[in-house]
Amino acid sequence: MGPYHAIMVHFPVALWTVAAGIIILRGVSAGPLARAFDRVLVSLLFIGAASGLVAYVLGQLVWPPDTLQATPLGRNHMMAATWSLFYWAAVLFLRWRTGERAWEGAINRLIMVVLGALGAGLLAITGTLGGHLHGAPAYLSEILRMLGFDVYQTYYVPNGVLAVLAIVIVAMPALAIAAARKRAAPAMHGEGGK
Amino acid sequence: MLGRRTAMIVVTGMFFAALMLSLLTHSTGVVRNDPARNIWIPAELTMPLQLQVAFNETQIYFRYRWPAEEPHVLTDLLRYSDGKWQRQTRTPIGSDPDGLAEDRLSMMLDDGSVPEFQRYGGYITVGANMRDFTGSGADAAHRRKYLPATRKDPGDWYSIADAATLDAQRRAGYFLDLWHWRAHLSNPLGRSDDQHIAWFRLYDSGETLFFSNWDADRGQPRWMFDPQRGGVRALRWEDVPAARADASEHYYLREDAAVPFDPDHEWREGDVIPGQVLREAEDSRAEIRVHGQGRWADGYWDVTLVRALDTGHPLEDKVLRDQGVYTVALSVHRDARASRWHYVSLPLQVGLARQADLVATRFTGNAPDWTSVETRDITLFYPGQVSWPHLTGARHAGSRYIAKGVPVKYRHKESQLARYGIEMEFDREIRRQWWLTLVAGVLLIVSFVFSVGRLFRLREG
Repeated sequence: MGPYHAIMVHFPVALWTVAAGIIILRGVSAGPLARAFDRVLVSLLFIGAASGLVAYVLGQLVWPPDTLQATPLGRNHMMAATWSLFYWAAVLFLRWRTGERAWEGAINRLIMVVLGALGAGLLAITGTLGGHLHGAPAYLSEILRMLGFDVYQTYYVPNGVLAVLAIVIVAMPALAIAAARKRAAPAMHGEGGK
Repeated sequence: MLGRRTAMIVVTGMFFAALMLSLLTHSTGVVRNDPARNIWIPAELTMPLQLQVAFNETQIYFRYRWPAEEPHVLTDLLRYSDGKWQRQTRTPIGSDPDGLAEDRLSMMLDDGSVPEFQRYGGYITVGANMRDFTGSGADAAHRRKYLPATRKDPGDWYSIADAATLDAQRRAGYFLDLWHWRAHLSNPLGRSDDQHIAWFRLYDSGETLFFSNWDADRGQPRWMFDPQRGGVRALRWEDVPAARADASEHYYLREDAAVPFDPDHEWREGDVIPGQVLREAEDSRAEIRVHGQGRWADGYWDVTLVRALDTGHPLEDKVLRDQGVYTVALSVHRDARASRWHYVSLPLQVGLARQADLVATRFTGNAPDWTSVETRDITLFYPGQVSWPHLTGARHAGSRYIAKGVPVKYRHKESQLARYGIEMEFDREIRRQWWLTLVAGVLLIVSFVFSVGRLFRLREG
C-alpha cells in the first residue's frame, strides 16, 4: 500500500496547504480577493479531510500495525498524521459552524491566522516524517532537531504532563461555556422583564 | 465571570502553554537505568574513533585512537577480605563501580566471504536472547555471538548446524576474524587476543594469553607478585581506581615474573592480586602484536596492532592481499564497562591501496609514517539490545530492505541507531506512553477548537 499512500497524500497535503494560505490571507485581509478565497475554504477543507482520511487509512496498511508502532519514526509519523487529520477536521468544523464570525474582530482573526500557521507546520512535520519512512529524509528534520525534537526519538510526554493536559482539555471548554452562559444570563433577565 | 475576549485569550494561552509544555518535556520520564532488567544507558550515546591502516609486503598495521576519560586496566581481582581470599570477578551492568572492567578494542574483519557482514556489520552476530539481554535468563552466559547460517533457524541459538556443514562453511571462509585488544589481559604482553566468530565466538588455536590465578580447592591465589622484583606481594584495593597502563606500575601478573603464592604471609585486609596470570601465547592465537606500546595519555588511548597479511592459518585468520578490499567493524569498551555495554561501528570497507571507505597506505620498511597515512574519523554508537532475528523479522519495518540487500548505512546514521537501540530496551513502556500522548493530543485539539468555536459564536460586546 506504500505507493498508493504516497499518491493519496498529495491531495490532503495540497488542499490543507492551500487552506492554510487562505486562512492566513483572510486573517490579515478583508479585501475582495481574500473574501473570494474564503468562499471556497469550507469546500477545500472538506475535500482535504475526506482525502486525508483515505490517505490515513492507506498509511495504516503500509506496514502491519505492530511493525509501524515498533519504530520511533513510524510512531512519530502516525502520531503527526493522526493529529493533522483531527486538526484540519476540527478547523473545518470551526469554519463551517461559525461562518463569517470567524473573521469578526482582531482576536478572532488572530486566532484563525495562528490556527492556519500551526496546521501548516503540523502538515510539514507529518510529511517530513513520511519522507523519512520512505527513505527520503529532508533538511526540515534538522531544523526540528534544533528546536528540540529529534525525529528518531518517539514523541511522548511523561505522566505528570498528561495530567496537566487532561486539566487543560477540561478547562478550555469549561471556560468557553461559562463565558457563553454569562453572555446569555443578561439576555434572559431582559426577556423576563418584558 | 470571564468576558468573551478574556476567555478567548485565556483559552488560547492554555492551548499554547500545553503545546510548549509537551514540547519541552517530550521523550522523558520513561528511559531510566534498571539493573533488575539488565538495562543501563550510557550518558554518551556515541563516541569518536580515528583509524589509520598501512601495510608493507608482509604486515598490516591498524592504528586506533579513541578518547577515554580514565584508563581502566584492571579486571578480575582476588581480594583478601574478612580473613579470606575472595574473587572480585563479575560482569557489571553498565560501569563497574570499582572500575574493574578493562578497556578493550575489538575489530571484526572479513574478506567478503560473509556478505551480510559487509552490509550490516556486527548486527549479524547478535542472536535472540543473547547474554545480558533483558529477560535472557540465568542460563544465557554461553549465548554469545554466532553467524546466522550456522543455525538451522538463525533466531534459535540452539539449532546449530551439523559438524559437516560447519566444517564446510569454515573452509568456504564463512567466519569473521576477531582482533581483541585488552588493556589488562593482552596489552602488557604487547599482544592482542586473536579470535574468530563462526558458530560461536571461538579462540584461535594455541596457548591462551592468560590463565586463572584462582585455586578453587584451597580458596586462594596460585601466584603472587615477586617481592624481590617489585618490593610487593600484592596490590592494595584502595589503589585500584588509580591504576594506569604504565610499565613502572604493577597492575598485571606475568607467569615469568610471578612467584608461587605464599599462604603463610601475613596478608592484610585489602590486599589484591590479579585473578588472571599473563603468559606468552603461541601458534595462531599469538599472531596479532601491539606495535610499539598501547598507551593511554591525555584522555586518549593510542593503540597500533600489527599482523601478517597471511598468518598461515586461513581457517582462523582472514588472508589479506595488496589491492584487496576488506570489511571491518569496530567496538570499544571503556568507562569500566563490559559485555554488551560497548560502542560499536557500522561496517567500513578498507582497501589495500585500492579505493574504499578507507584506503590503506602501502609503504616499505618496518614501520609506517603515520603522518602520511589517511585518517578516517569513525563514529561509534551504543547499540542497545537489537538482534539480527529482530532486524530480519516482521516487526522491523526495514526487514524488507535487508531482504533486498540494502546496506544499513543507506537508511540509518549512528546517532539514530543509538536512539533506536535505547527505544528497543523500553519498547513496551514507550509505546504505552506514546498511545496516551497521541490520544491526549487529539483531545487537546478537539477541546481547543470546540472552545474557540463556542466563543466565536458570541458576538463582540
